[in-house]
Amino acid sequence: MADSFAEARIDQALVARVVLDDDRRAFEQLVRRHQGMVRAQLRRLLPGDEAAADDLAQETFLLAWRKLRQFRGDARFSTWLYRIAYTCFLQTRRRRSLPIDEANDGEEVQHSPLAHATDLQMDMQHAMQRLSSGEQTVLLHCVQLGLSHEEAAYVLALPLGTVKTHATRGKAKLKTWLAAWHDSADEERTS
Amino acid sequence: MNLPNDDRIEALVRQQFDGPVPDAGFSERLMQRLPPRRQRRRRAWPLWAGALTGVIACWLSLQSSPVLQAGWRDWLGGEMSAAAITLLAALAGVSFLATWWATTESVDY
Repeated sequence: MADSFAEARIDQALVARVVLDDDRRAFEQLVRRHQGMVRAQLRRLLPGDEAAADDLAQETFLLAWRKLRQFRGDARFSTWLYRIAYTCFLQTRRRRSLPIDEANDGEEVQHSPLAHATDLQMDMQHAMQRLSSGEQTVLLHCVQLGLSHEEAAYVLALPLGTVKTHATRGKAKLKTWLAAWHDSADEERTS
Repeated sequence: MNLPNDDRIEALVRQQFDGPVPDAGFSERLMQRLPPRRQRRRRAWPLWAGALTGVIACWLSLQSSPVLQAGWRDWLGGEMSAAAITLLAALAGVSFLATWWATTESVDY
């Protein structure tokens, strides 16, 4: 928590230098501090298309440079960047008319726990892909990027209740789909 | 393995994440593309002078147009003729473009 507070203070100091003194080196430091996670976020949102994700990341930082005076410090700087990146992603998806993968609610993952008992990670990856787009996006931001529900709601421009519902449903589905691992572990213990 | 509970599910989801992407020249390339910052206090008069000049030039060039005159006359007279509708459609189009531009520029992050 203290680290996170210190990081936020550093970001705010850098932002102030950019806004007040037009300090490009300060902005470069901000880019270097946050590019890794912003690019990781966009790569998860655009799986298999790293070049497009990096183009969007570049667009995100150029927008941040233009709109930096709008950053009021209510949210963490990283959260503000995630929000810009997600908005850029949505705009690109609208322009390209990319399909939203929402058709997987309620489907069971087809896997054989006994045949793949040593590969939980593979099953997990498969199960993640079977989640609805909303659930995947919320779990990406809340669990993988480490945002709170409130921060995820801000980034995704969704009501807080919707974020919590997606997170709960997503985890519940993963639990159900991976329950076979639980059963097989129990069997191993009893035998 | 005692699966699944919330913590373990979250741990597994976290393991699916590769973490931050290495820079590999990204920041340098970005900084080369960074445009100069806009002046904080831009003077507004060039914008207004340009807009006014545009309106006057447009008016002068269309002044002798029969469609504009007829449309204007019919509109004021409350008659929805083809000329009046054309005039209204042109005004609506310009308003739409101005609104779209203003909305795009004012997106708040």
